[in-house]
Amino acid sequence: MGRSFLFMLVIFVLAIFAISGLMSRALSAAGESQQGGSLEIGRDVYHVRCAPCHGHEGKGDGPYAMTLNPRPRDFTLGMYEYRSTESGSLPTDEDLKRAITKGLPGTAMPAWGKFLQGDTLEAVVAHLKTFSSRFGSEQPLPVPVGREVPSSPASIEAGRVVYEKLQCASCHGTDGRGTGATATDFQNASGLPIQMRDLTEPWTFRGGSSARDVYLRFRTGLDGTPMPSYVGAVSDREMWQLAVYIVSLGRKPAWEMNEQELIAFYRSQERLVSNDPAKWGKYLVEGMGCADCHTPLDGKGGNIESLRLAGGTRFTAGPYGEFVTPNLTSDTATGLGGWSDEEIRNALTKGVRRDGTRMLPFPMPWTALARLKTEEQNAIIAYLRTVPPIHNEIPRPKPLSFFPYLWGKFKMLVLKEDFPAEIFPGNAGTLKGGQQ
Amino acid sequence: MRRALKWIGIAVLSLVVVGFFLFLYYIPPFTSMPPEEFVKPELDAAPTLDGISDPRERLLAERGKYLALTHDCSGCHTAGDNGPDYDKYLAGGMKHVVRGYGTSVSRNLTPDTETGLGNHTDEEILAVLRSGVMRDGRLMHSRVMPWTAWSNWTEEDRRAIVAYLRHLKPVRQQIPDFTSLGAPQDSAAVEAIWGADYSVKK
Repeated sequence: MGRSFLFMLVIFVLAIFAISGLMSRALSAAGESQQGGSLEIGRDVYHVRCAPCHGHEGKGDGPYAMTLNPRPRDFTLGMYEYRSTESGSLPTDEDLKRAITKGLPGTAMPAWGKFLQGDTLEAVVAHLKTFSSRFGSEQPLPVPVGREVPSSPASIEAGRVVYEKLQCASCHGTDGRGTGATATDFQNASGLPIQMRDLTEPWTFRGGSSARDVYLRFRTGLDGTPMPSYVGAVSDREMWQLAVYIVSLGRKPAWEMNEQELIAFYRSQERLVSNDPAKWGKYLVEGMGCADCHTPLDGKGGNIESLRLAGGTRFTAGPYGEFVTPNLTSDTATGLGGWSDEEIRNALTKGVRRDGTRMLPFPMPWTALARLKTEEQNAIIAYLRTVPPIHNEIPRPKPLSFFPYLWGKFKMLVLKEDFPAEIFPGNAGTLKGGQQ
Repeated sequence: MRRALKWIGIAVLSLVVVGFFLFLYYIPPFTSMPPEEFVKPELDAAPTLDGISDPRERLLAERGKYLALTHDCSGCHTAGDNGPDYDKYLAGGMKHVVRGYGTSVSRNLTPDTETGLGNHTDEEILAVLRSGVMRDGRLMHSRVMPWTAWSNWTEEDRRAIVAYLRHLKPVRQQIPDFTSLGAPQDSAAVEAIWGADYSVKK
């Protein structure tokens, strides 16, 4: 009986005030385009399709940017990873078009080819180039692509030797998957964390997975990352051999495996969960979007990055009163630092707070988290312990007083009004200054 | 006599009213329900995948089922008048209102060919999970459908979800498209993210 009422929470009202800020810009841009001109068309398309992640000023800071791993490119640096040009040089228009139309595998960047073609595509490229002054003063320097080395046991072996010679294993590991890597924490030119590529998963190669694509990465380097150009260090032929070797490392993706391979694959994944729980926990936390609610909203449709996972987003949930998302950082006084594993697990999987009070089965999806395997719950807990502490004290939930509560229930159960849940921007916790 | 009857009537009526409000106050007693009772119904409602004859397809779909159950797809994609209607498991229909923006209704994820994902290709579904791009080119709002989180999954996990969705029970349920709130500035703003398709514009 009670269950039916609870599940009346099915009506979810999200209030994002400040998305309107984002909108009004797109609008003014749309208005101006009446005068024509390809730059205006490019800007219109950019504001609609690109700005949600890359930001209106191209800084890679759009409202959706914080949640994404890897982050969207910052165009203002004029620095691009996947090019066919010399290290440090600008990309060609064709390079930019390739990224736009084919997308970047393994990232949120979609293949826009179906929707952006011809003049529109040219216009978007032209608009992208306005973000960096480098495009006004420099010319891209395309690299000469040497003679391709065909794949053969001999060339693969030669490539393996180059892999050792260039010490690729210090970052990519002896097996291409990072095993035994000595360097593990990397940043890009914007200071954002990046991951080294798992060389056994060619379907995640941003710039493509053919030998020629891989060769280009060695020839041009990935500007803005620790991956340099190897021109000069080894011969062109050796770079081709290395490319052939890397291509040979590729394993089958799960969706192409047979039964035995799949069983082994999922088993190895389980081992990964127990061997490095914090790493797996990061995957789970990022893949569940915990930070979407547990980071205050900035009022422009995005989250306040400096307060990631520090809680402080205020919700109202109809007659049930008001809640503020808890601080999930490892801060001892205000975060999860002082909680025991069992206390965190109870909140995650039973919706029971540390003081014993119960959470609604919404918006915190503890009913779903309860179905996680124990090892994965442990992994989430292990990762949350590694989140840098932020001192942000969260107010206790505020139930409504008697009469508003009755009135709310009456509206919901008798008048069958939509369940009024709302979410508000800004930090409702004690930490000031994070609010923008 | 009539006077007494009147007073009895008033007393009964006020008892009914007070009783009704007390009833409202104590129901739903969600705190008296053990947490497990919130968890179990969906586990029972989710399709069993034992019938899939191709073992590798079954393994992929099992992984997808685990992901779908633990990432609460059903929290938004199973609606109902009085609690989730598990006969329409993952068939959509839940209303989400974003203030100043418009109303979207969660989509039908079942393999029904007319109203669900039946005639969507794997690539089209993957583009939504990875990039929030619908097959007509519109971008989804990540506060309504949290694709920015699903984007962080491995491609292998996303494909497992797609494999699972293919084995749901098809449910015919037409879902209305996103509607803006109607005020002039709002509908234009909505166009900026939900409706605009500049690919044909010259």
